[in-house]
Amino acid sequence: MAELVSFIIFFLGLYALVVKRSVIKSIIALVLMETAVILYFVSGGFEEGKLPPISDALPEQMVDPLPQALMITAIVIGISSTAVALAMYSQLHRKYGTDDWKKLMKIRLEEDA
Amino acid sequence: MIPGYLFVLVPIAFGTLLFFTNSRQAKRGVIIFQLALILASLYNLTKLRFLESHVSIETFAGWDRIIGISLKWDLVSSLFVMLTAGLFFFLFLFDYRGDHVDQLFLMLLCTIQGLIIGIFLAHDFFNVFILYEVATILVSILIMFRKDKQSVYDGIFYLLTNLVAMTFFLFGIALLYRMLGVLDFALTREQMALLSDRRALILPYTFLVTALSLKIAILPLFSWLPRAHATPSAPSTVSALLSGLFVKSSLYLFFRIRNIFDPFLELTELFLILGWLTALFGALLALSQKDIKLILAYSTVSQLGLITFGLSLNQDLAFWGAVYHIINHAIFKSTLFLSAGIISEIYRTRDIERIRGVGKGMPLVAAGTIFAILGVTGAPFFSGSMSKYWIVASAKDNLTTLGIYLANFGTITCFIRYSRIFFGVQKNSENSSCSLWKMQHIVVFVMGLFSLFGGLFARELIILFFAKQLPVDPLSYFQKIMIFFASLIGGFFVLRVIERTGILKKIRELDLSFNSVAAFMFLFFSMSFLYLSLKYAPQ
Repeated sequence: MAELVSFIIFFLGLYALVVKRSVIKSIIALVLMETAVILYFVSGGFEEGKLPPISDALPEQMVDPLPQALMITAIVIGISSTAVALAMYSQLHRKYGTDDWKKLMKIRLEEDA
Repeated sequence: MIPGYLFVLVPIAFGTLLFFTNSRQAKRGVIIFQLALILASLYNLTKLRFLESHVSIETFAGWDRIIGISLKWDLVSSLFVMLTAGLFFFLFLFDYRGDHVDQLFLMLLCTIQGLIIGIFLAHDFFNVFILYEVATILVSILIMFRKDKQSVYDGIFYLLTNLVAMTFFLFGIALLYRMLGVLDFALTREQMALLSDRRALILPYTFLVTALSLKIAILPLFSWLPRAHATPSAPSTVSALLSGLFVKSSLYLFFRIRNIFDPFLELTELFLILGWLTALFGALLALSQKDIKLILAYSTVSQLGLITFGLSLNQDLAFWGAVYHIINHAIFKSTLFLSAGIISEIYRTRDIERIRGVGKGMPLVAAGTIFAILGVTGAPFFSGSMSKYWIVASAKDNLTTLGIYLANFGTITCFIRYSRIFFGVQKNSENSSCSLWKMQHIVVFVMGLFSLFGGLFARELIILFFAKQLPVDPLSYFQKIMIFFASLIGGFFVLRVIERTGILKKIRELDLSFNSVAAFMFLFFSMSFLYLSLKYAPQ
């Protein structure tokens, strides 16, 4: 079930990237896609009746700790990349006065000419 | 051998330490550091060359390869590490007196160097993802380093498109891990062989391929590249670094990952066609630009297409030709970007129509640039001619051969137009009187010389570095020289005709918005998935 949900969220995010013309919505869509992957990865490590890998339990009783270790890294990196994207967005909005991709492209092309 | 993790971590630590020094000490320190890094990589390369297997795998902190981090040294990766150290040395030397160079800038560059070396050495999927993601963030900061209006758009466009690609990549890894339970490249391959149905690999492979195709700027996913590599306000060292080196790490990864999947799923025909179309289309777009940096950036797209094409010919000769072309392209394209930086600073314009008389005003820069142009166009005895020769020589049929010559014809025509900057007289001569630091001219000249050197000693270098003997047939090489000169003459005429029609202006105005790039990614993903599903449909 979690797999299906993560696929749906992932492609929902991609759909938003294609149709939403606002930069901030694109950043949100990107975060959505990342979340979908994290959900998929972490749910892949789930096993019925087993314990999380942070307890006194024996190694045989625990789930595979690798997906969780990897995903904590991915989450940290995801947060930093979102922070950078948002910082850039604020610069972009200040300089261009719009957050519409199409208008931005038009202004950028005019600058070139 | 010196452990690989030192090559990754020491540049990053060194970059951070620079904050405790003053600007002058930092600039000196970084050059000495690069020299040490070149020597260290040379030492490892030599050691590896004399190992019987030419391969050395090291694991990190004593963990098992299944859950730990492993780094792999082979002849290709160690040469790329040396190339990274060498190119960075020249870039730092070039920027020694740059106004924009402060501790932050040096720190960013040193960190990226560590990350690029990490990508070359990494031997598992997740590390590659982490290194790439961090490098993407740093590169986008470098693109908008001066925070002017154009570069902010270019920076965020680059960042978001590439982050989307990396999300695809991560999804691919997730699917793969769930299926196989390993992330190490070699172990993944072993596990794949045990799969009962290889069709299960189609979905993860499509995710990975979509991400990599955007990273190597294959048609139709290349529109982020020219903007990022040629953004007007970025220092020319950044453009040289991105176009010369950083994009090569994606190509390297592309053929590494393709090698893992090749025995089970093949996408070579698709990439053969896409590579060729990218080579052709990139050259056409390069031809239509007015901005010298954009011309070079689109030419990078075209060359990347050619390299992908070479890598997809599925022949040993073409593969090594393409790998050699990656190295050659790293050298001549960074030379060209550095010289374009000098030229645009002196002439205070990047408009190709307004720059004239470079040959007279700056002989050293002109010589270096001409060497690099001869390299990229594949002129006889220059580095590009050898690598392109090996790619052509392995073409199986006339159609493939013709395709490569046609793509190269586009490159030649585009650089005939570029070469006009050397001739004529600059009308506004007061601009050209201001002189930059002479060392920059020397750096460009020396780097240009490498293009000649790489052509004259191509076979010897390949034997030295790759322990491979690549044949050169004098007759067919002579034939290639003839075709080069014929293309040169043809290029002159075609350029004249095209310029009169005004079609170039229309092509120049072609651009994709972010939404279209996302749409193309989805399209690319679904097409590759469909292609693989049909190709490997159950009988």
